[in-house]
Amino acid sequence: MPKSMGAVKQAIPAEIGGEADVAMASSGTAVQTAAGRKILPIVEGVVLVAALAAPLVLQDYLTVFATRVIILALFALSFDLVWGYAGIMSFGQALFFGSAGYGVALLARDLDITNILLVLPAGTIIGLTFALLLGGFLLLGRHPSSVIFVSLGTLTGSYAADRLARGWYYLGGQNGIPSISSMTLGGYEFSEGPSFYYLVLGILIVVYLLCRFLVRSQFGLALAGLRENEQRIAFFGYKVQHLKAIIFAIGGAIAGLAGSLYAFHEGFVWPNMVGVVVSTQVVLYVLFGGSGTLIGAVIGTVIVEGVSFWLSDNYRDIWPIILGVLLLLVILFRPLGLISFVLGERERVGSFGAKAKEGVKEKRNAP
Amino acid sequence: MANAFVAAFEILSFGAIIVLIVLGLGIIASMMGIFNFAQGEFVLLGAYITYLAYAKGMPIWVGMVAAPFVVGALGFVLEALIIRRFYAAPIVAMLGTYALGLIIRESVRGLIGGFYLTVPEPIGGSIDIGTMHISAWRFTIIVITLLVMVGCYLLLSRTNFGLRMRATLENPSLARASGISTPLMYGATFAFGSALAGLAGALIVPVFSLYADLGIRFLIQGFVAVMVGGVGSFIGPVAGAGVIGTLSAALPWIMAPVVADVLVFVLAIAFIKFRPQGLIAGKGV
Repeated sequence: MPKSMGAVKQAIPAEIGGEADVAMASSGTAVQTAAGRKILPIVEGVVLVAALAAPLVLQDYLTVFATRVIILALFALSFDLVWGYAGIMSFGQALFFGSAGYGVALLARDLDITNILLVLPAGTIIGLTFALLLGGFLLLGRHPSSVIFVSLGTLTGSYAADRLARGWYYLGGQNGIPSISSMTLGGYEFSEGPSFYYLVLGILIVVYLLCRFLVRSQFGLALAGLRENEQRIAFFGYKVQHLKAIIFAIGGAIAGLAGSLYAFHEGFVWPNMVGVVVSTQVVLYVLFGGSGTLIGAVIGTVIVEGVSFWLSDNYRDIWPIILGVLLLLVILFRPLGLISFVLGERERVGSFGAKAKEGVKEKRNAP
Repeated sequence: MANAFVAAFEILSFGAIIVLIVLGLGIIASMMGIFNFAQGEFVLLGAYITYLAYAKGMPIWVGMVAAPFVVGALGFVLEALIIRRFYAAPIVAMLGTYALGLIIRESVRGLIGGFYLTVPEPIGGSIDIGTMHISAWRFTIIVITLLVMVGCYLLLSRTNFGLRMRATLENPSLARASGISTPLMYGATFAFGSALAGLAGALIVPVFSLYADLGIRFLIQGFVAVMVGGVGSFIGPVAGAGVIGTLSAALPWIMAPVVADVLVFVLAIAFIKFRPQGLIAGKGV
């Protein structure tokens, strides 16, 4: 086993290295086109390099932990899209995360489907479907829903799903579904370790770039307007509720993808995964890192999980208390998250001016 | 007949517990527009104080009487230090109070460990009616809930204090112009809501025993009850709590508990969706 891992370790970085160059090159052009210095691409580049190098310097058990963090970062990204960009408070993001996890676990258990090309799309679709159902119900309708209703509705949905999973024998009840077999691609098995890490990191990079494109597009601009002043966006003629439902569904799909990866990585799913605990955890990540910047969600996840991992040996009992205090301090004094220490307000909002011509084109195409 | 009576009593007593818990939540949500995620932890604190008094060898009554005052005082302090900054933004208030709740919950967890600690009922035994036995303490909870409900209603609708409170919450600037100290009234309202949560915790701890997630268990039910009843009045959340409490206690008698559990939430959310103003619309008491 360790032998094969070593081989993978050597083989994979070369492949990912190419992707890194592409990413770096694209951020390089961003620096050139913008007037003045930009910090965001630098932060993104540093995080990327650190993430790529991590398995080379970390011990094996830490690589397994790092994989989990990357998956959770993907999950945090989904919440950041929904809350940080569109201003929809989803206190039930774990519902999509966990239901996709349960879905792929059932696929693996009952139908013996573990092919990565089937399970990951399946998980994504499960997340998307649940998000469409819940989001459609909560957000659409004749009367616009209040912020409070949406946040409490998602919270209740997540809580109800938790109770259902706990009580339903088919889903394993309290114990969940243990010992899910590994994901496969042809004859290859993705087991915990560097190969799984780079797979997840690759997915995170792709999704991150997609999200980045999305929030820098005309659609993203409309979303940011929605967050800042919903009424004005409505007066501009946008169908506010549709915009919200779309981004909510996209967020659900990403959460579903993350959930299916998480299920296969941990090897089991359990009721907490759909419940309020995980739902609020993802809120913590994003608030810490800084909502409304995609990289903030990733950094927040890494910091919260990293410090919690580091402290859990000696200070297991007081860590949640410290987390609460830190969270309170961030909410009171740094509402834009830790990233706001290095990132200015202007960059957080993003510059849309440079791409004005493209923007006009997209707007014409938009319904 | 006897079975039906026992069932009715169970439903009534659980309904009373939910009403008791929602009272404080409802007052804070209706009067201040804040959905207090720490409310469950105030309930937990009330329970913990009762346990503490019992563990120190004092009569349980002492703890039960002290709980609302201690929790109320804590609520007053927290309002002045933290909650006050959140009035403009309801979502931020949710997150902030969630953080507060996290701190309180985990502190209590650190103090009691992962155990379920039992506190005996101050009024033990049962009341016998013919061949039927009902728990004396649960009956006491129903009576106290009724008294507290009537007391709150009278306080808000009949006293000078209640009038000032309502004036402050309905139109703060006019209230200030009339010489009412609005910061003090906000603090008092929040403290009052917290004290009710503390009382609820103290009363229910003999029934559910003390564990760190005691408050969380009721929080979401409480929120749903407030929304079903209608935010903005005193009587709305109470009515909502009655409905939610009765439903969650009654449905498991006629269907599988798992289904009943989820069905209550689904029904409630659907109801709120189509009637956002709740059962009882309107402002005031």
